Amino acid sequence: MVLNGWEAVFFWVFSVAALVAGLLTIMARNAVHSALFLISSLVSVAALFILLGAEFIAGVQILVYVGGVMVLFLFVIMLVNVGAEERGREPIFNHTAQVTAAVIFGLLLAGGLVYALNQGYKGMQASDRDKIAAITDRREAEQQNMPSAATGTFRITKDTERVGGSLYRYASLPFEIASVLLLVAIIGSVMLARTVKQEASADDVDPEVLKEAIAAEPELAKLESANE
Amino acid sequence: MLHTFALFAPPNFIDNLLLKFFSADTVNYVVWPFIQIGAVVTAVAVYALYATYAERKISAFMQARLGPMRVGPWGLLQPFADALKLLTKEDLTPDKADIYTFKFAPYISVAAAFIVFAVIPFGPDWGVITDVNIGLLFVLSISSVGVLALILAGWSSNSKYALMGALRSSAQMVSYEVSMGLSIIGALMFARTLSLSGIVSAQQSDAVWFMFYQPLGLLTFLVSGIAENNRAPFDLPEAESELVAGFHTEYSGMRWSLFFMAEYAAMVVVSAIATTLYLGGWYFPFVYRFTEAQGHHALYVIISLIVFLAKLTFLLYLYFWLRWTLPRFRYDQLMDIGWKWLIPTALVNIVLTAIAIFTVQAVDGWNGLKTIEAMSPSLNLTGTGKAIMIGFGIIGIFITAGVLSTINRRARDFNLKRQRRNIRLVNLRKGKPAVAPPATNE
Repeated sequence: MVLNGWEAVFFWVFSVAALVAGLLTIMARNAVHSALFLISSLVSVAALFILLGAEFIAGVQILVYVGGVMVLFLFVIMLVNVGAEERGREPIFNHTAQVTAAVIFGLLLAGGLVYALNQGYKGMQASDRDKIAAITDRREAEQQNMPSAATGTFRITKDTERVGGSLYRYASLPFEIASVLLLVAIIGSVMLARTVKQEASADDVDPEVLKEAIAAEPELAKLESANE
Repeated sequence: MLHTFALFAPPNFIDNLLLKFFSADTVNYVVWPFIQIGAVVTAVAVYALYATYAERKISAFMQARLGPMRVGPWGLLQPFADALKLLTKEDLTPDKADIYTFKFAPYISVAAAFIVFAVIPFGPDWGVITDVNIGLLFVLSISSVGVLALILAGWSSNSKYALMGALRSSAQMVSYEVSMGLSIIGALMFARTLSLSGIVSAQQSDAVWFMFYQPLGLLTFLVSGIAENNRAPFDLPEAESELVAGFHTEYSGMRWSLFFMAEYAAMVVVSAIATTLYLGGWYFPFVYRFTEAQGHHALYVIISLIVFLAKLTFLLYLYFWLRWTLPRFRYDQLMDIGWKWLIPTALVNIVLTAIAIFTVQAVDGWNGLKTIEAMSPSLNLTGTGKAIMIGFGIIGIFITAGVLSTINRRARDFNLKRQRRNIRLVNLRKGKPAVAPPATNE
């Protein structure tokens, strides 16, 4: 990414938007408004990904986070009653210890980021200029070989293919492990949500198991009688 | 002939005019895209307007009525009368509504529906606004944002019917998005690109529409597309008999009509994607040979645009047809279709397509058979290869039907609860193993 011209304008607009929306996410009183600001922040970050030339990541960011995760967030927020915080008129930053800890860690994070950026920049300057020039030349030559877009104004890159290739070819084991982890999380949440009590209230439990459960917890007998 | 068709060359004329005022770069990157965007937005808005008219007419004919007849000849000006009525209606806001969210939700809905048109190739050359390398992913991600508008509208109205509609729509759209995303993968295996123009040119160079290779993919995509649009028979979020009007119960005037327009625009989007992916987009056999190859470039573009519109209109007619033919699904049936039928179909389709492509690759060069012409940029098959692939597509329907009916054999049993009682989900710690359901069903 080269920071000049319109690219710089877009960069500053989207980065400021992302930061402001992030701040408003934690400052909004209403949980749904917080979620909306989080969505704005995510969209701005997706726009920054596009400026970096990572269109695939930007598309996936919107598809997964805005279209999937945030929709489920909103779904949950609407079902759960979160009225207590909204009604209160007390100041938002009312826990001094929390605020102090957040500020300290935020500053540490910012310091670390600046340090890492400086080191990276130094390393980039120190490395062989010819090597960088060769890589740039090769990239440009590759660019020339790519098929032209239908409008003829730019080229269709193979980024998506490359992401898919490396994900399924060279990183297939971590990928599979991650998917098994998700499966475990789903089964775990079902097991946590389905208690004997809940199953009994839906009249959906084996009578023998229910007898044992009632012996341990007499409250369940009421649910059983309510069903009959 | 040629002189008549010179009429169809306004772009060159406009281009020359524009070049007098702007530099070539500005014309290519700024002015032309803006002209195209303006044209497409206007065209889609008018198209959506007339889609409402077409829907009323079609429903009327299906019920042996005449439909709108009073405004203009055959009621042709009815949509404009409706639009005028909606514009002048009062814009009501419920008393305890979340005002900003309530007012903002329709805009998200319309924006999500219209932004997608930026990447859709309506025709070759100037029929494309832009062609990005993540085209299809862009379409899917933007249309997944559309559900946010429904949820926000339902929540901010502070009305129980609207909230119920919003909850239903979010559950429905999140479920059907999965099968929609999975169903396109089969077609992408042939096109080998996400760029929508690339997909069309893949079908053009192969001279086959992907619907012949991917009948299952088309079916899955269309069904999940209809569900994504909340159209009948999947219109539970706005089921009139249960929820008044669902998520837009509290809306009136222009904001309500924005939702309405977004619904029709979203239908056009899904039809356009289905056209591009499975019906060959703007490609039609022999058009290239009789126009472009003989030097009539503008005519080629215009005929391609008409071909695209014709295919789009056919799919849109399918929407109306289904709406006035099928009754609404029950909620559990809706979830069954999504999770037990459509997602497995899409997954089976991916596996079968991969097997078919591997077979074609393996057969290539065996006993002098030649099946593959080129692998890059898209998968190009010879006549033999095409025949094998179409055969796989047809056999795939039966295989999938068999697999799915095996999976779902017990899904609709009456004594499902009794079966479930015998499978221990809880208290396994007592050392009792999970018991399989009894083989006999009463």
